[in-house]
Amino acid sequence: MKTQRTAFNSTHGRRRVVLASLLVGGFALAGCSGAAGGPDSGGDVTLEFWTWSLKSADPRAQEIIDVYEAENPGVTIKLSEVGGTTETTSKLLAADRADDVPDVVQLEYRGIPAVVSAGAVRDITEDVADSRDSVADNIWELSSLGGQVYGVPQDIGPMMLTYRTDLFEQYGVEAPTTWAEYAAAAETIHAQDPSVSIASFSATQFEFFAAQAAQAGAEWWSTDGDSWEVGIDSEASLQTADYWQDLVDRGLVSVEPLLTPEWNAKVNSGKILSWAAAAWAPSVIYSVAPDTAGNWASVPLPQWDAGDPAVSFLGGSAYLIPEKSKNAEAAAKFAAWLGASDEGSELLLTLDMYPGGNAGREATLSNEPPRLMPEQTDFYERADEIIDNTTIPITWGPNVNVASSAFGDALNDAALNGKSFRDVYIATQKAVVADLEKSGYTVK
Amino acid sequence: MTTITPRRRRLNLRGALTPWLFAFPAIVLFTAFLVIPIAYSIFLSFRGYQVEGGGAYGRRVEGFVGIDNYVGAITNPELLAGFGRVLIYGAIAIPTVLGLALLFALLLDAPKARLTGFSRTAIFVPYAVPGVIASLLWGFMYLPSTSPMSYIAREFGGSSFDFFGYPALYFSLANIALWSGVGFNMIIIYTSLRAIPSEIYEAARIDGASEMKIALRIKIPLVLPAIVLTGLFSVIGTLQLYSEPATLRPLASTISSTWVPLMAIYQEAFTNDNLGGAAAASVLLAGGTLVLSVVILRFFQRRTFGDAE
Repeated sequence: MKTQRTAFNSTHGRRRVVLASLLVGGFALAGCSGAAGGPDSGGDVTLEFWTWSLKSADPRAQEIIDVYEAENPGVTIKLSEVGGTTETTSKLLAADRADDVPDVVQLEYRGIPAVVSAGAVRDITEDVADSRDSVADNIWELSSLGGQVYGVPQDIGPMMLTYRTDLFEQYGVEAPTTWAEYAAAAETIHAQDPSVSIASFSATQFEFFAAQAAQAGAEWWSTDGDSWEVGIDSEASLQTADYWQDLVDRGLVSVEPLLTPEWNAKVNSGKILSWAAAAWAPSVIYSVAPDTAGNWASVPLPQWDAGDPAVSFLGGSAYLIPEKSKNAEAAAKFAAWLGASDEGSELLLTLDMYPGGNAGREATLSNEPPRLMPEQTDFYERADEIIDNTTIPITWGPNVNVASSAFGDALNDAALNGKSFRDVYIATQKAVVADLEKSGYTVK
Repeated sequence: MTTITPRRRRLNLRGALTPWLFAFPAIVLFTAFLVIPIAYSIFLSFRGYQVEGGGAYGRRVEGFVGIDNYVGAITNPELLAGFGRVLIYGAIAIPTVLGLALLFALLLDAPKARLTGFSRTAIFVPYAVPGVIASLLWGFMYLPSTSPMSYIAREFGGSSFDFFGYPALYFSLANIALWSGVGFNMIIIYTSLRAIPSEIYEAARIDGASEMKIALRIKIPLVLPAIVLTGLFSVIGTLQLYSEPATLRPLASTISSTWVPLMAIYQEAFTNDNLGGAAAASVLLAGGTLVLSVVILRFFQRRTFGDAE
């Protein structure tokens, strides 16, 4: 009998871990933001700022904060890093439900609809009205929904292909300008050395596949009046699935996640030669392969049809103000200063990001090229050209996370086990539509 | 009589209160950290978010959704597939862990064993390495570019091992759990072995039994309750497998984000913002674990514990 009781206690104990992580997590989170200051009228305010771009241990980030605090006596900015977009979203929703929120939150553009539809962030159209001219319209659009502004753009991702110049030359291939050339280059490289791939195929790059489908003319989410349209299984989108299916089936790309020790080792040893992403990629590659600096260059993303340079943005984030922030006005003022003002957006450039504000973008032109490619002096000019060609607006739905996990898992499975990529896109479409309908949205 | 009755009643009252007084701290903690969270979890499992007011960006508001979450959990193919994977993993890990734990315990208990103190500690030490750390360490040893095993294989003209492929992945994961599991279960079985009175062995030796016979015919039957207990722990632990696959996931494309039930529950709660669905799946998992534990114990009760119901 004694043994039996011990066993049952253990069952409870282990179960408690599960339940505690599910339920008590919210309370623990609420405790974190307890240090926030009083309301606006109280004079001194402390703004709690959830961000992964401005790390409190980074002296360059601290300098930016010092500038603002010196100009605005009585305002104290408290930086805290709570994770990336997925983690920040769930923590913000938990904090909102616990009525104890931060004042400014950094979130990638694709995460905005989820927190807006949960009612967790504030419509700041009025608060940032004075800053409208400091940021280009196609960038404001990234942080706006239905004509209302919900965030101040921090940085943007003009889409670029970053590749090894020395090894492309060694294998006798030019930087591709179309996806057909990209596939041909992949074949040429792989034929000479089967252990080398032009790139890795990482199914977790959900946003990249969405952007590439948009480049082909598909709209994964769009609104029509009060209802949603989902186009993940549209023909244009499925053709991009076929494209990758072909490369994966022929073994021309290595199927593996990005930025693992394995991927890093292959980038360092010249087994993976490029990464199709955005202007922020060079600093990421530099952080894992600093020894290869000088052997890289970035060019505009390959196109589906030669001569059609239209692309969308990839990645980048904005500053949002939680609905329940007690210092919302002071917080919006700070967010507008950091993201949109001349001073703020120029300072953001010191953090190796591509600022969304006009002044920051202007400043990039006189900036040194990224450390990964000191010889490519026209890097920022190329990036600026790409921004002018960034004419495809992407609409994100309120359930991007649902789509991205369903898509990533299924695409990985398909890539590893030789299943149809088209089926993955079609299954994701079904999952997204079912989830929207379950939440009570109208879907066309 | 009349003078005694009230006195006795007072005494009875005090007598009745005393155990509650002693149990009070435990009851408070039990209620605060077990009863309330479980009750709240059951409450949550009937709640969900629904759009109010319509529109493409309509606000999602929490409300009562009946048994939708349970229907969703039961019909979720990923959750069911996760149980299937856990089953395969358990079929590999549990017999291996328990077999090795029993073997080591018997070896340490053998009269000719030397260096028992050192060996016991050495076998137990991996249990002190947290699962996440062990998974990271093994993760690096499994990745072809950083794996010493694959390096040696390549040096001898072979090719890298595919530790994350199928079905190797199950063995790779079981291997991580093996190191800590063997140490922990070995200690339980060994402790149980040491509690067997030595007169029994003496009697057996006088009767001419070999050490092997003693191990098989005396020791194992006598430590069967301990083996059943460790088996039960292992079954529960297997159902709640989480940290090893979750830690390895960023390294291996073969591990999906819903690879085991707990990962699916985590994803439901924190990626898909569906706390209700996650709570429903948790309640089902907890209920299933409880039923399974009772069944296992009932099955072995008469045979091993000698309880006459």
